[in-house]
Amino acid sequence: MPYHWSDADSHTTLKLWPHQSMTPRGFVWFIGATAALLTLPLFAVLGSAVAWVLMLFFLATIAGVWRAITANQAARTTEETLTLSDTHLGLLHKPPKGRTLSWEANRHWVTVNLRNDGPVERYLTLRGGGREVELGAFLTPEEREALYNELQSRIAAT
Amino acid sequence: MADAAIQGHDEHHERSFFTRWFMSTNHKDIGILYLFTSAVVGFVAVAFTVYMRMELKDPGIQYMCEEGARMFAGETCAPNGHIWNVIVTAHGILMMFFVVIPALFGGFGNYFMPLHIGAPDMAFPRMNNLSYWLYVAGSSLAIASVVSPGGNGQLGSGVGWVLYPPLSTSEAGFSMDLAIFAVHLSGASSILGAINMITTFLNMRAPGMTLFKVPLFAWSIFVTAWLILLSLPVLAGAITMLLTDRNFGTTFFQPAGGGDPVLYQHILWFFGHPEVYIIILPAFGIISHVIATFSRKPVFGYLPMVWALVAIGALGFVVWAHHMYTVGMSLTQQTYFMLATMVIAVPTGVKIFSWIATMWGGSIEFKTPMLWAFGFLFLFTVGGVTGIVLSQAGVDRAYHDTYYVVAHFHYVMSLGAVFGIFAGMYYWLGKMSGRQYPEWAGKLHFWTMFIGSNITFFPQHFLGRQGMPRRYIDYPEAFAYWNEVSSWGAFLAFASFLWFIGIVFYTLMYGKRITEENYWNEHADTLEWTLPTPPPEHTFETLPKREDWDKGHAH
Repeated sequence: MPYHWSDADSHTTLKLWPHQSMTPRGFVWFIGATAALLTLPLFAVLGSAVAWVLMLFFLATIAGVWRAITANQAARTTEETLTLSDTHLGLLHKPPKGRTLSWEANRHWVTVNLRNDGPVERYLTLRGGGREVELGAFLTPEEREALYNELQSRIAAT
Repeated sequence: MADAAIQGHDEHHERSFFTRWFMSTNHKDIGILYLFTSAVVGFVAVAFTVYMRMELKDPGIQYMCEEGARMFAGETCAPNGHIWNVIVTAHGILMMFFVVIPALFGGFGNYFMPLHIGAPDMAFPRMNNLSYWLYVAGSSLAIASVVSPGGNGQLGSGVGWVLYPPLSTSEAGFSMDLAIFAVHLSGASSILGAINMITTFLNMRAPGMTLFKVPLFAWSIFVTAWLILLSLPVLAGAITMLLTDRNFGTTFFQPAGGGDPVLYQHILWFFGHPEVYIIILPAFGIISHVIATFSRKPVFGYLPMVWALVAIGALGFVVWAHHMYTVGMSLTQQTYFMLATMVIAVPTGVKIFSWIATMWGGSIEFKTPMLWAFGFLFLFTVGGVTGIVLSQAGVDRAYHDTYYVVAHFHYVMSLGAVFGIFAGMYYWLGKMSGRQYPEWAGKLHFWTMFIGSNITFFPQHFLGRQGMPRRYIDYPEAFAYWNEVSSWGAFLAFASFLWFIGIVFYTLMYGKRITEENYWNEHADTLEWTLPTPPPEHTFETLPKREDWDKGHAH
C-alpha cells in the first residue's frame, strides 16, 4: 500500500505517495547489467583507437538512460502528509514541481467523503476549514476505499 | 492545497488534423504514425525487391542497363552493376532500419506496451514525438541517398547495407554520407525510443504488476528496447568513425594509417547480430498473444517464455563473429562463436515448443491472425534450422555469401518478422480502428503471401547449395531454373502486399463497425481488451483495476 500511518505521542501522521513500480534495488540491477553488457564489444577492439571512441558512446548511453529513469521518477513523486493531533488536522501536498500546498482544519468539524462525481473513481476528499481538499487521488480506487474507512475511524476516535 | 476538483473535469476540445498528427504526443497516435510511415517505406523497399527479381528472372541483363534503368526489356542493354548494387544496398538499409523495427517496436510497441502495463502514456511523450520525426527524417535521407551523386559517376552508393570499409570509405560522391547520416538519425531515434520504452516499462507498471506478471508482448518490447540501448551506440560509434575516415582523414579502419577494416566488421556485427533479435523479438510477443487467444488457452510456460526472451537477448551479444568466420580468426575463436551460436537454439526451442504446447489440447480457431501465427511458426522454424546449419564454421566456408544465406535470413526476418507484423495487424486492426476487416480477404492475403514467399525463398536454398553467390546482378545459365521460380514467387508475394494495402483502406473506410471491447474471446486477456473499441484518446489516467489484468493463470 503506498501509504503509511505512524503514531507518535501527541499526533498521528499519514504519508501517501504514488506507486513507483521500480525499486531502488531494481534500478541498481538495471544500470549494473547495462554497464556490464556495454563492455562486451570492447573485447573485440581493445588496444585500438576505436575502443576509446566507442567508450564515449557508452558513457553517453549510460548517462542518458540513468537521467531518463531518475527524471521520470522525480516527475512522478507527489508526497502528501496528513497530521492528526487532538484538535487539529493538517495536510501538506508536495507536488513534483512548484510550491507545497497546505490545508488546516479543526478535527471535530472535518468530514471524510468518498465521492463518485470526482475526476477519479472513488474520489476521497476532506471537508473542513471552509474548503474541500483531495487526498490520495493517485491511489487505486480500492486503496482509497480502504483509506476512507481507516480515516473515518481514526478521526472519530478520541 | 490541491482543492477537490469535482465538476468540469472534461473539457474536450477537438484537435485539428495538423495538431493531432504532426504535433502528437499521444502514444496511440504516434504508434499509428509509425505503422503508416513504415508501410510507406516498406512499399519502397518491396518495390526494389520486385525490380531485383525482375532482373534475376532470366540470365543476362534486361533492365539495369548503362543506357538507364528500364521497366520493360529493350533491344540493347549494357550491364550496369552499379544500379544493382545501389538497389541491394537500399533494400537492406530500408528494411533493417526503417521498416521492420519502426513497425513492430515503434508502431505496436508504442500503441500497446503502455496499454499492457496500464500506463497512461509513455514516460516522455514529447521525446516520443521527437523519435518519430527523427525516424521520418532518417528515412528521407536514406531515400535521398539513392538518388544523389555516388560512386562510379552515377547516382546512389552500392556498398551493401553493412557499409564495410574500405569500400564504403572510398565510394565517391555524397550519397554515402547521406546514407551514414540516415543511419545516424535512425539510431538516435531508436535510442531515444528505447530509453522511453525502458523508463515506461520500469517505472510505470500498474500497482501489483511485478516483473513476472507483465504480459509477454510488453516483455518482448522491453527486452527489445534494452537490446537497442546496448547495441545501437556501437553502430553509431562505428559509422561516426566511418564518416571521419571518409571526410576528415582519420584512419580507424584504414591499414595505411594503422587502422584495421576487420575492426569495423567486429563492431558492425556486434550491433548487427542483436539487431536481428531486435527485429524478431516483438514478433515473438505478438505471436504469444495470438496463439493463446485462438487456442483459447493461457500461454504455456509463461516464466520460461520470459526467460527465453531474456536469454535470447543476452546470447545475442556474444555470438557476433559467426557473421565473419572467413576473416581469419583463430580456430579457438571460431569454435567459441560456433558453440555459443548453437546455444541460442535452446531458448528459441523453449519458445517454439511452448507455443506448440499452448495449442496442444486447445480449441484452435483459424481466424486470420492465427493463420499468420501458424505461418510464422513454420517459417521461423525453417529459418532457425538453416541457422544451425550455417553456424558450423566449417560448413559456413561453403555457404558464406551464397544464396543459402539469403534464404536463411529471409526466412527468419522477411518471413518471420513480417508474418509477425501481419499477425499483429489483423489481431489489433479492429481495436485500433474500430472497424473489422473482411475475414475472407485476410485469409486470401495470408495464403497468397505464404505461398508466394515460400516460392520466392525456398528455391534460394537450392541455388545456394549449387554455389550461386549473393549480391550479383547476373548468373550463369545453370542457375536459371530456380531463379525463374523464385521471381514468380516474389511477384505473387508483391501482389499479396498490394492486396493487403487494399484491405487496410477498405477496412478503415467501409469495414464493419465493432462495438464490443473484446471482439475475440476471453483469452485475449490483456488490458487493451478492457477498453472501448477504438480506445479513447486518454486511457488509464486512473490506475487499472487489478482483476482486469491479473488473471492468475499466467505463471
